[in-house]
Amino acid sequence: MLIDFNNINENSLQYMSNYLQRFMPFSVEDVKALLPYCSIRKFDKRVEIVSEGEVDNYLNMVLIGLVRKYVKVKKKETILQLATEGHVIHSEISYLTQTPSQVILETLEPTTLVSVSHKQMQDALASFPKGERLGRLIMTGMYVKKDERRYEMLSKSTRQRFLDYMKRNPHMLQRVPQKYLASYLNITSETFSRFKHLLKPSKNI
Amino acid sequence: MTEGVYNFLNQHTAVSEDDFRLLMSKVTTRNYNKKERLTEIGEVEDRLHFISKGLIRKFFYRDNEEVITQIIKQGTIISSTASFFSRKPSQYILEAMEPSETVSITYDDLESLYGLGNTWEKIGRVITTHFLLQQEQLLMDNIRLTVRERFKKFMNENPELIQKVPQKQLASYLNIKQETFSRMKHLLYDRTIKSV
Repeated sequence: MLIDFNNINENSLQYMSNYLQRFMPFSVEDVKALLPYCSIRKFDKRVEIVSEGEVDNYLNMVLIGLVRKYVKVKKKETILQLATEGHVIHSEISYLTQTPSQVILETLEPTTLVSVSHKQMQDALASFPKGERLGRLIMTGMYVKKDERRYEMLSKSTRQRFLDYMKRNPHMLQRVPQKYLASYLNITSETFSRFKHLLKPSKNI
Repeated sequence: MTEGVYNFLNQHTAVSEDDFRLLMSKVTTRNYNKKERLTEIGEVEDRLHFISKGLIRKFFYRDNEEVITQIIKQGTIISSTASFFSRKPSQYILEAMEPSETVSITYDDLESLYGLGNTWEKIGRVITTHFLLQQEQLLMDNIRLTVRERFKKFMNENPELIQKVPQKQLASYLNIKQETFSRMKHLLYDRTIKSV
């Protein structure tokens, strides 16, 4: 599951640098300095990487692949996140407070993650020069995303949510079973199917 | 007033007296009348408010209906946060529900504190994490709890709000129909049901 850092190629370093540049200036050299605080983890598809009731030990960034985060209430699954390349995914409450997870994380494709364990995070915050700032900016970014998603779910019609999501994520229809996308958008599967015709190019527009 | 800010910060992380004095040199105290707005839709939120007195709500309009997403009591922070951090126009209105007093800091002043180094970065990270967790727990509750359970949880945590806030607004905040809300009110008085 763990692979060593000699296996990290320049592309991955560049990718991580590009990703972290969203938050603050972050060179490939900075990424190399950050790597001792990270683990690279590889999973097959359909592997539960965090189970309900388990304490989540890792904050992950998806390098390759796709992970879903969901809650199971009675038999019903509600998908909260579909994380692809460049997304941060973990069981936030469990990881940050070291309590049993209420959510489940599962890979939907063979997946490679850059993971920071709880211990590594404490070390990075204490010793990595840009650690505190990066930590704050990542938390802020996650907070803003959650806030925006909440607004979308409350303010937009199902149709609008569907259209906006598909416009932003056109490839997801190929990568993810429809019922998962429907759950993520809080739309019934039937409605989701009905909306699909909206994606066909139309002469009227 | 400043004591409230000091206590709030120290609940989350240790802040030295010098750092606190520095922070206090950057903040402004403001008073708002009932129904006065702190932030309007479309303007970029420029302030993070600590509520030293009063009650403030955050809402937007869906068609013509108000949708309340937060009702914040004194002793904690409110802002149109996504707008504040992303510098994009606010999608929300912030409005005082009773005469309120806030101690607030502007985006630029907060950034200048972050520029001073890790002490402030850490305070910022810890407090942001607190709000992230709060938001995530709210989401969990909305999915995992029944309407009845959510109603009871909110009322147990905020018993005074039933007097202060119009029912319609509480129902909106809890995302419960007004009729359902009225029907559930007996849960507040019927002690026998609480223990079931």
